[in-house]
Amino acid sequence: MTTSQLYFDIAATTPIDKDVADLINTINLENFGNPSSIHSFGQKSHNIIERSREKISKILNCRSSEIFFTSGGSESNNIILKGLLSSGDHLITSSYEHPSVLGLSNELGEKGVEITFIQPNQNGLINPQDVKKAFKKNTKLVSIMYVNNELGTINSIDEIALICNKNNISFHTDAVQYVGKEKIDLSSSKIDFLSIGAHKFYGPKGIGALYCKSRERIEPLISGGGQESGLRAGTENTSSIAGMCLALEIAEQNYDKNKETILGLEKYFINALDTTNIHYRINGLNRIPGIFNITFFGVEGHSLLMNLDILGIAISYGSACSSGSANVPLALSEIGMPESEALCSVRISIGKMIKEKDIDKLIFSLSNIISRIQKK
Amino acid sequence: MKEKVLVAMSGGVDSSVTLLKIIEMGYEAIGITMKLWEYHDVGGNNLQENNCCAVSSINKAKLVCERMGVPHYTIDFTESFKKNVVNNFVDEYIDGRTPNPCVRCNSFIKWDTFIEQAEILGAKYIATGHYARIDKTNGNYHIKEGKDEKKDQSYVLWGIPKETLSKTILPLGDLTKEQVRQIARNNNLETADEPESMEICFIADNNYKRFIKEYAAEKTENIKNGQTLNEQGQKIGENEGYINYTIGQRKGIGISNEKPLYVKEIDSNSNTITVGEKTSLFKNTCKVSDINWLINEPKFPYDMLCQIRYNGQKSKAIIKKESDNFTVSFSEPQLAITPGQSIVFYSGDILAGGGIIEL
Repeated sequence: MTTSQLYFDIAATTPIDKDVADLINTINLENFGNPSSIHSFGQKSHNIIERSREKISKILNCRSSEIFFTSGGSESNNIILKGLLSSGDHLITSSYEHPSVLGLSNELGEKGVEITFIQPNQNGLINPQDVKKAFKKNTKLVSIMYVNNELGTINSIDEIALICNKNNISFHTDAVQYVGKEKIDLSSSKIDFLSIGAHKFYGPKGIGALYCKSRERIEPLISGGGQESGLRAGTENTSSIAGMCLALEIAEQNYDKNKETILGLEKYFINALDTTNIHYRINGLNRIPGIFNITFFGVEGHSLLMNLDILGIAISYGSACSSGSANVPLALSEIGMPESEALCSVRISIGKMIKEKDIDKLIFSLSNIISRIQKK
Repeated sequence: MKEKVLVAMSGGVDSSVTLLKIIEMGYEAIGITMKLWEYHDVGGNNLQENNCCAVSSINKAKLVCERMGVPHYTIDFTESFKKNVVNNFVDEYIDGRTPNPCVRCNSFIKWDTFIEQAEILGAKYIATGHYARIDKTNGNYHIKEGKDEKKDQSYVLWGIPKETLSKTILPLGDLTKEQVRQIARNNNLETADEPESMEICFIADNNYKRFIKEYAAEKTENIKNGQTLNEQGQKIGENEGYINYTIGQRKGIGISNEKPLYVKEIDSNSNTITVGEKTSLFKNTCKVSDINWLINEPKFPYDMLCQIRYNGQKSKAIIKKESDNFTVSFSEPQLAITPGQSIVFYSGDILAGGGIIEL
């Protein structure tokens, strides 16, 4: 297969940092003990996990007892929604959430949970007042994503959390696209639950965390040996937990530097695009640096993706499913984009490893492909 | 630079060897799987194996492509397939006819779609794993029968647009199925021992009655028990409703007779089936609609060979044209000529065209 030499899809997942991969490898080889074992092998693993928990909580500015390790963002989202809601409860969420919230909400809806889906505005943002207006007597939980994965738009999460808090309603946010890219301070926020996935910030896949401020009883998804204070049974993935921790530490140390690099690349990308005669539009306001949703008028996103991939350049179109086919990006129809434009919209996400010459190659290839396949 | 060829990959052994052959021929290949349906639309078990469009088949196609160093993409055509093939399939049965969805898929979706995708990806040709050959004589392109008589699939290709023949490569036409399997095994292809898919792809359990009743519940729930008539039009029994029968069916008629009885006619309007002994099911003529010619349209009356069912025998026939109506007269009577099925015309081993059988 053509090796994808240029990767513009860090919103899907990031490559793992070399230091992180090395640490994981070392721990796998040297610290294989079961963290629950009493002997020194177990204790070493146990302490690696607890040290990671300490460090992560420090970075997020919360208590270490509020951090629980999971297999990733989807699981963290599932724990909160399934664990808190039962028939007769009311859930407020948005209509452009990640499938792990949206699909699950629909499932819960079938099981008697009442659901209100808040629609984002045309700029791709949730209006906090819309959340407030949706409150009912039986509203148990509000779950709104921090950054939309298709558009990169950042919601006013602190404001929404505050509104929920004032009304005594629990608030969860899927922060998978936010954590690791921007600083977060949970002590000054009214967020009750927050989901994290390591593979969005140059960490390993299959590991994530859940921040739980509330002491409310949450039914675990996986029961067993009582790990993670009974919230998530199963022998802990020591090396990945340490890997996630290191990835987050690296992210924290480089927030400003990375942001500057990526904003510079964004500017470079847009300037280069403007020198071509490509007709485009960037969708959404208040974007997180590095995630672009762009409509290339008259060029189907899926066709563009395939053509770029053949040239070794990876971008994204729609939400990929297990079969590898793609549907019209849901978030775009939710912000009211006509289907004809949504079909022509792709996501280009720029990571810290991208160089200006990579952007040159992307623009050159985009230009060639678009002039060949554009519908007259 | 090598010419690009878009290879239709179903995740079976035939399309895998097609890919291999295309690479051997010196082309640059791109594998494409068309996703035609979703289990939540058509029911059945989503974990059922060995079905085109099941995730496991698409995964197999991807593995084969990776082994060959070829990119692979899945293209979603569920909407078009539903509209053009599945809905028609159901409507035809409800009209008391017996459709052929594979023909319709090739005629209205597959070829046009693949050619369009090829253009998008800068490919000059498309290739499929059908057992048939493309022949070029004096600048004219024809489809010929596959060398493997048992496996020949030219029958299902009669409806493809003629102008696509020059852009189509069918690398398996000179091979037998056994040879294809052997090639796959020799090359360690993941699909070498995939079982043959014989059923209708979107009806995984092969139970088309279950499918129609679930898919078109509103239309079918009113189809009550119907009357069974003899050839004189007299009622001789009751049946479960015409939708449960096809022309030529013997089982499930539920009437005892000296000789076995077969379904001869189906009338959806009166919800009746007419049954008769085997001899009464032979007919000399039928009408044909929706004709597509893959040769230059001949002068009528035109002598040719006709095949009225997949894997059926070819027999001599003449097609006549009166105003816009086509009638085929067979030199020997044909058993159970079934409205809705394809009638396919051959001139020698050349696929001349085909159409849909009408009463």
